[in-house]
Amino acid sequence: MERGPSSFGVYNMKLGMWVFLLSEVMFFTGLIGAYIILRFAQPDHFALPGQVLNVPLTALNTFFLICSSVTMVKAFAAIELGDQKGLQRWLLATAIIGMIFVGIQVVEYTVLSHEGFVPIADLYQAHGRQGGHEVLGGPLYGATFYTMTGFHGTHVSIGVACLWFTYFKARRGGYSAANFGGVENMGLYWHFVDLVWIILFTIVYLI
Amino acid sequence: MESQATNQAAGGSAAPHKSPPYMLIWLVLFVLTLAEVGVAFLSHIPKNILILILLALAVWKAALVAMYYMHLKFEPRKLWLLAISPLPLAVILVVIVLAEGW
Amino acid sequence: MSTAAAMHEVPAHGAHGHHEEIPFIRKYIFSTDHKIIGIQFLFMSLAFLLLGGLLAMAMRWQLAWPSNAEMPMPGGSLLPETMVNSGIMLPEFYNALVTMHGTIMVFFAIMPLLVGVWANYLIPLQIGAPDMAFPRLNMLSFWMAFTAGILMLASFGVTGGAANAGWTGYTPLSINDVYSGVKTGQQLWALSLTLLGFSSLVGSVNYITTLINMRAPGMTWFRLPLSTWALFITSVLILLAVPVLAGGLIMMFFDQTLGTNFFKPESGGQPLLWQHLFWFFGHPEVYILILPSMGFVSDVIANGSRKPIFGYYAMVWAIIGIGFIGWIVWGHHMFMSGMNPLLGGFFMITTLVIAVPSAIKTFNWMGTLWGGNIRFHAPNLYAISFVALFAIGGLSGIFLAAGPVDIPLHDTYFVVAHIHYVLVGRSLFGIFAAITFWYPKMFGRMMHEGLGKVHWLLTFIFFNTTFFPMHMIGSGGMMRRLYDPTQYPHIAQMQDTNVFITINALLLFAAQLIFAFNFIWSLFKGKKAGTNPWEANSVEWSAPSPPPHGNWGGVQPVVYRGPYEYSSPESEHDFLLQTQPPAGQPVPARH
Repeated sequence: MERGPSSFGVYNMKLGMWVFLLSEVMFFTGLIGAYIILRFAQPDHFALPGQVLNVPLTALNTFFLICSSVTMVKAFAAIELGDQKGLQRWLLATAIIGMIFVGIQVVEYTVLSHEGFVPIADLYQAHGRQGGHEVLGGPLYGATFYTMTGFHGTHVSIGVACLWFTYFKARRGGYSAANFGGVENMGLYWHFVDLVWIILFTIVYLI
Repeated sequence: MESQATNQAAGGSAAPHKSPPYMLIWLVLFVLTLAEVGVAFLSHIPKNILILILLALAVWKAALVAMYYMHLKFEPRKLWLLAISPLPLAVILVVIVLAEGW
Repeated sequence: MSTAAAMHEVPAHGAHGHHEEIPFIRKYIFSTDHKIIGIQFLFMSLAFLLLGGLLAMAMRWQLAWPSNAEMPMPGGSLLPETMVNSGIMLPEFYNALVTMHGTIMVFFAIMPLLVGVWANYLIPLQIGAPDMAFPRLNMLSFWMAFTAGILMLASFGVTGGAANAGWTGYTPLSINDVYSGVKTGQQLWALSLTLLGFSSLVGSVNYITTLINMRAPGMTWFRLPLSTWALFITSVLILLAVPVLAGGLIMMFFDQTLGTNFFKPESGGQPLLWQHLFWFFGHPEVYILILPSMGFVSDVIANGSRKPIFGYYAMVWAIIGIGFIGWIVWGHHMFMSGMNPLLGGFFMITTLVIAVPSAIKTFNWMGTLWGGNIRFHAPNLYAISFVALFAIGGLSGIFLAAGPVDIPLHDTYFVVAHIHYVLVGRSLFGIFAAITFWYPKMFGRMMHEGLGKVHWLLTFIFFNTTFFPMHMIGSGGMMRRLYDPTQYPHIAQMQDTNVFITINALLLFAAQLIFAFNFIWSLFKGKKAGTNPWEANSVEWSAPSPPPHGNWGGVQPVVYRGPYEYSSPESEHDFLLQTQPPAGQPVPARH
């Protein structure tokens, strides 16, 4: 089927993925924007991130996610040249690092909950990592934190599931140098998830 | 590299190009992340400047991922325009609602 | 794609057609064919339109004869005592009616009627494509919308009843069941709309990709009919606005269910944040509700006048302009929220500016009609009344756009008048025009022309007699969402007008039964339609009525010109199909 005149020169699945990602930008804008607005309106209802959150651990996690973006793009570069083994290796690496990211987040959530930092207002009693002191910060902080990072984490988890699917398809020889759209689209989604995290990490953990 | 004809099938990038320097970008991202975390702990800088610097660093990193890992730099310009279209809207939403509180 | 293919004869089933019989369920229920999906949306949303109308009739009854035991609500005895007690409606039920009328009409009737139906049905046909880019995603989109509809309907049956915080769901009322008396209903409202939003989003990914990538050879952007342009810009608006609403609804649901405090003021939350998130979506939403109608009206008027649309390029840029500016006007729904007056001034200016492209379109429609060889067929009657009612709805909008004028008019029936002039007078008339115009293509039969004209006339008359007086009572101070107007002396003196409005509303509703009858009757007994019964130009009129799977039976259309070549010197008729090759060129058989 011929491409229409003055189309964007990009095949359907890729264009569709890009269009979908634009809507995701707006979705995260809504959530992160809500956090910014709530915090700006009532700063004393929010503790400083460093008092409650484990910034160094999450910085490491950020680094891991960036590494997984590299492995993903290496997987794509491999199949562009028809390197099946390379594709599988790098896809596997990406999936594993993705799981490490989620794992560290789960650990982070567990530790934070034990410290009293929870999403639900009635149960909120954060006493920070300095041990024992009441930390400034009302119930809004928990709710916004878990909503933003939770939705991001959900997107990562879905991405990891898709990565495994892509990996097994690669093992069955489902991709080639002439047919790698699935890998490219997987890559676009994965890089996007990384991109959102770059912004999220800065706004939620560093500011 | 694949020719334009295989654009029809589910594969093929828009234009033949030399493989982008993925590892170099990774290094830059690593350095920028270190810079961000470092800057965040410099508590003697006034808060507003700190926010600006951190946001600028974050946007820089995001742009690198988009342009090189997501290949936007090598895609047709129309796709590039489409991809940045939500950004002004995102800025408008947050800025105007914040402005309401001034 | 190759000259060898051109030598093939087109076989009876179509070169790429399936040769096995598809079971009924795969063909009509879980179909991936864009035409079937469009028709599924049509039946679903017409049913919701009827329901929304019934809810409005109940409301109007209460407003005319508030809590009047001598005028018991018809059908009231069928409803449980929590809703209607001895023929008298309970105030809580009235609030639920108001909310559900608005929600159902906006989200489950008008929006799917404009987008779910027509984006699905028309886009591939008008651009010369065999189907959408992602047919299975398309099917998913319909069934998600259907499920969302079920959830919304289910909310009527739960403890506490349906949502009653208004279709705008302002917080903290919508998240606090101590104030509203409704818990599960409001939760279902939030969930249903989130699911519907996702359905719309998935749909718009499909529409945008299809439009960009799958246009037939020769179909450049500026040869697209205005219906297609309008549907394209509408899809972009949906893509970028709906996710923000989804985020807000999720936070609302968490507040309702998990005990978070995003919008609860007593814990530092910001109720106004909901209003901003909702209206940031809500304003592009109203353009989503009007732009496709404008597109259809353009096509029908050009067809009915036998003339090219006046100022095609201006019309396209006006659609794009409305789409663009529509992002920065949302604050005009919040003039009374206590915002910084400077910000209010900003929103006032942007709202007044957006009147300009709308006015350009109105003048261009009039320019199209001027000097035309006008055919007063039913679609054209609806389309012309759209233009006339545009003036009234648009003008009341200008009143409301001016901040100082909005202050006394906010939350009065003046706003209700404006909303209904634009949503019924414009969107709905545009929908009637579209349904009547494309019915032959969809079902292979014409709707009954006489009944169509009767329906049009009665609807036009009763629509105006119902909604025009609302400008007056609104200026007189009657508030929206009011259970008993007679409890306030300044409104009680206008009660005769309320009764007048109710009677005309009931007549308006009755007149719609003519349309419903016509629609159903014509499915079986309508005059059989040919390929191009309206003698129109756009690509869909070159396909059979109704088109087979794949639309042109495997042959791909080629486009040679724009869609408005009516009364062209090149043609011996007063129309010239886009796919008609220029004189001397053979019709290509392309696969």
